[in-house]
Amino acid sequence: MTGITLKKKILIVEDDRHIAEGLRLNLSLRGYDIMVAPDGPAGLREWREWKPDLIVLDIMLPRIDGLSVLRSIRLEDERLPILILSVKGEPEYRVKGFSYGADDYLSKPFNLEEFLLRVERLLTRAAWNSHSKPTEADLDPAYHVYTFGGNTIDFDTLTTHCRLGRVTLTEQEVKLLKLFIANRGKPLSRSELLEIGWGYTGTTSTRTVDNFIVRLRRYFEDDPHEPVYFRSLRSVGYVFDHDSH
Amino acid sequence: MQPIYLSVDTQGVMLYVSCRDIHASLQGVSSMNRFRWFYHPVLIFVFSVIALAASLCLYLYWYIGVSAGLTSVIQKYNLDPSQFFEINTWVVILVLSILVGIILIGVFVIFIYNQKTLQLYRLQRNFINNFTHELKTPVTSLKLYLETFAQHDLSREEQIKYVGYMIHDVERLLNNINRILNLARIESGNYWKEFVEVDLVGTVRQFYQNNADLFRNCEVRIYNPIEKPLYCPINPLLFDMLLMNIMTNAVNYNESDHPRVDIHFVPLKKGLHIRFEDNGVGIEKSEIRKIFRMFYQVGNPDNMTAAGGGLGLYLVQQIASIHRGRVTAESEGKGKGSVFALTLPRRVQVEG
Repeated sequence: MTGITLKKKILIVEDDRHIAEGLRLNLSLRGYDIMVAPDGPAGLREWREWKPDLIVLDIMLPRIDGLSVLRSIRLEDERLPILILSVKGEPEYRVKGFSYGADDYLSKPFNLEEFLLRVERLLTRAAWNSHSKPTEADLDPAYHVYTFGGNTIDFDTLTTHCRLGRVTLTEQEVKLLKLFIANRGKPLSRSELLEIGWGYTGTTSTRTVDNFIVRLRRYFEDDPHEPVYFRSLRSVGYVFDHDSH
Repeated sequence: MQPIYLSVDTQGVMLYVSCRDIHASLQGVSSMNRFRWFYHPVLIFVFSVIALAASLCLYLYWYIGVSAGLTSVIQKYNLDPSQFFEINTWVVILVLSILVGIILIGVFVIFIYNQKTLQLYRLQRNFINNFTHELKTPVTSLKLYLETFAQHDLSREEQIKYVGYMIHDVERLLNNINRILNLARIESGNYWKEFVEVDLVGTVRQFYQNNADLFRNCEVRIYNPIEKPLYCPINPLLFDMLLMNIMTNAVNYNESDHPRVDIHFVPLKKGLHIRFEDNGVGIEKSEIRKIFRMFYQVGNPDNMTAAGGGLGLYLVQQIASIHRGRVTAESEGKGKGSVFALTLPRRVQVEG
């Protein structure tokens, strides 16, 4: 393994400059390689490009909030250790964080020593896991084969059996589907879909989302003009839902 | 309508049942809320008024029935009516109506107090929510550096740098505390009666120069069509607070590559109009009226991207009204910039 000689990389997604700088200082004193991202989109970008071994994530972030960043990462990577560091310490927020797939949750203000030990422990455990290759079992079973209505989506082969017959899905379609499935029954705004699904922010046209929804409806809806699964919500966005089976 | 707040316990239990079903169970809770409409105070109030009116009618109906019966008994036995009592229907109706009216007023007063309490409760919740972030962030930073200093021997330069951060954090904390205290003082309304006649164009310029580091990335242009000083009686301290709030909003809620604020002075016959136009994120039409409410923040509470106290524009409005002026917001919609228009009278009558 090459990781033994390399420094472990930690990405800090934190908008408060002072806190970010303080974390960077302490973590580099412990011998880690540090990158700081001041907002959600930057965090997602660094996660993709820099490939950190651990992410320290704030929740209240400009542009894309931490929970959306977390969900977005978990759509693609179930294993990356993520520690949430937030001023919101109440159990309801912790539960929310963990339910979206956080590995650890510390509320601010925190104890420095405790934070450093938790980071160390998370990295140690991740190192054990990385000896074994990610197996199928690591992924959420829902992401192998998912059925709703008369449709079946196979996430391993990226194909679907739907009303159009057997269709091969594009990577982007798969991502969007995973996002919808992960948020079943919960309305997602166009900008949320763009930000989480594509990693875009700001001025990019939300028409992109609409076009994808048209495509998904053509695949999965019995009548694409009277959608049952991918419904539009006026002035909100879209919601995916279906009867349980 | 404000959602009914569930106790944390029920939510907690539901959430622990299954994290995967978190949304489903939360939605279950909200559908449960739909059946709670009959708990709503307005409905209770309406019901009690209806009940009271119905009972008044019944009282009168029975009274008239009984007195008619009595009259017929008196006539039947040829008794002297004055021996029993002087029946005066109108007096009885009047007395009953007055009594019912008093009860009605009582119910109404209780209803109003109840609404006020609810409002205060909500305000308190919002206050805690909003200021948690604003107060805890500087404290977190301070604690972090203090613990670092306790653990490590840093070089002198590094120490100076981080001590600088800490001083800045203490200032942030102080500013937040001051905002909360100022709110209380403005609310009480007694402290601000000293008005001074000053040139507002100069005041705004001065403000811009004093806070230049705040507008480092932001272009601020000041337009004055008549190129003469414009005098207006203001309370300098309050006016500074107002400018600070409007300008920091313009800078903070701006995602443009070249943030810009244009300040236009428009002299009016009896007053002065100042327009602060920015090219920031703008305001949704439906939000324009709400943004001046205390603790109101644009966006839904789940959206955790924005931080702030939700006090700024409320203070702006209060300060404008202390100056007998008013402030309005305009925006073409999201992403199209916003305009805050302040109108001040040339003369301020201060009573008292």
